[in-house]
Amino acid sequence: MTGLLDYVQGESFLHRLNPLTKLVLSFALCAAVFITDSHLIIIGILAAVLAFSAAAGTVSRSLRILSSLGKLSILLFIVQILFVRDGKVLLHLPFGLVITDSGVLFSLLFVLRFMTATLPLALMLAVTRISDLANVLVKSLHMPYSYAFALTTAIRFIPLFAEEMSGIMETQTARGVEFDTKNFFKKVRLLLPLCVPLLISSVRKTEGGAISAELRGFNLRKRNCGFREYPLRVADVLAVLFGVAVILTVSVF
Amino acid sequence: MIKIQGLTFTYKDGARPALAGLELDIRDGEFVGIIGSCGAGKSTLTYALNGVVPHHYTGDMYGSVTVEGLDTVESSPEEISRYVGSVFQDVDGQMVSAVVEDEVLFGMENFGVPRSEIESRLEQALAEAGISELRHRATSTLSGGQKQKVAIAAIIALRPKIIVLDEPTGELDPRSSRRVFDTLRELNENHGITIVVVEQKIMLLCEYVKRLLLMDGGRVVLDGAVGDVLRQTEVFETAGVNIPRVATLARELTKLGYYSGATPTGLAQAETMMREVLGNG
Repeated sequence: MTGLLDYVQGESFLHRLNPLTKLVLSFALCAAVFITDSHLIIIGILAAVLAFSAAAGTVSRSLRILSSLGKLSILLFIVQILFVRDGKVLLHLPFGLVITDSGVLFSLLFVLRFMTATLPLALMLAVTRISDLANVLVKSLHMPYSYAFALTTAIRFIPLFAEEMSGIMETQTARGVEFDTKNFFKKVRLLLPLCVPLLISSVRKTEGGAISAELRGFNLRKRNCGFREYPLRVADVLAVLFGVAVILTVSVF
Repeated sequence: MIKIQGLTFTYKDGARPALAGLELDIRDGEFVGIIGSCGAGKSTLTYALNGVVPHHYTGDMYGSVTVEGLDTVESSPEEISRYVGSVFQDVDGQMVSAVVEDEVLFGMENFGVPRSEIESRLEQALAEAGISELRHRATSTLSGGQKQKVAIAAIIALRPKIIVLDEPTGELDPRSSRRVFDTLRELNENHGITIVVVEQKIMLLCEYVKRLLLMDGGRVVLDGAVGDVLRQTEVFETAGVNIPRVATLARELTKLGYYSGATPTGLAQAETMMREVLGNG
């Protein structure tokens, strides 16, 4: 079982695009969702993103993300709909609460935006290796290498720390600590002391990593040291043009 | 060439010296094993060889360490690491990339290996470490032994003259441990790379290395060919290190007058010894 934001191996046209193109395209789609006020256009973008993920072979994951966002969206929808009081009243509720037509439309727009804006970025992460993303940020956008290194290291360490944490928890469970308690607050109280050993072992790990990187010339690294090339191909130009076209379209309508 | 003269080092905030007047000469192409109890100064010695001491871990340092003609105090860790490659015990901590290929590329990119050479060196390093088929795998999906070989491949690609390893099999099972040592032996014999390895598994170490050092209290207390060193069982006892049972057996047999040959360093030699003893008796 992979996390919802992990890289998914593949050879689709999205996988082969320049990481920078993917970044630009996903941000363009994201921006389009916020520029437009039309429900239909947002649904159209959502459909397009789903079509992209189908092409990249990650559609089941995209749907999983959508369904978890959907649960949150229902809550947001309910809260939002009760806040809007102008427009034609459709339904009177107790305590003076009302549901209006513009409330329904606005809340719908709100949750559609919420779901659709998240998806392109998730898709981008699914079809781009973090290391490629970091390399291209260093090479093309002149991000300092140490920042890019911190970014990739942080993402790489998440599963390691999770493993470490579950190791500590198992040890403590074997000694009779009840992590399986139903009481949420009690569980938090039991987990808090574990932060100290986790922190210590993490610092030790990162220290080892720092020494190992230093001894392999980390400090000598310059911007153009990267071996991998990320050329812009025709497909990249087309993809960026597509992004620009989407932005222009939604700005006009 | 490694030359250490009167090296005394106390970590900042350290109560007593981790190394106390250590003397050591290692010639090109040697395969040296270092053993000792916890706190004997083994790790600190490896740090002194690759420049982590005194550049990363600071403290009071006396004496001198010269590696390939470089004084480790005057040279930066980067300069030293052009000659000395280092592999550590923590297989996860020493990785810097999410993919095997990137891990091996990392050092070559940093040291500015010419583009035309990178691909061939990459393939060669993976092949020598015996992990060509892992090239495109994510490091997080590898076993401990495989990860340690990736770490070794990343070092081989840099073509160091010396490889220093600090308990490289500490997190590995016996079979993976042997594979790592097989790789080391090949690098030593076929490429003439000097190998200095700290290891707790004495039996494994004795089978592979040519020269064995026993450390105690920040000093080298025994130094010589494996068989000769293993003979001095009292020194091992003082240092708190168990010697292989075959060496104990050889000592007892010698004491009783049944055996007078060399101390066996592996199971094969132990078998020869037993055949000799039983044949005589």
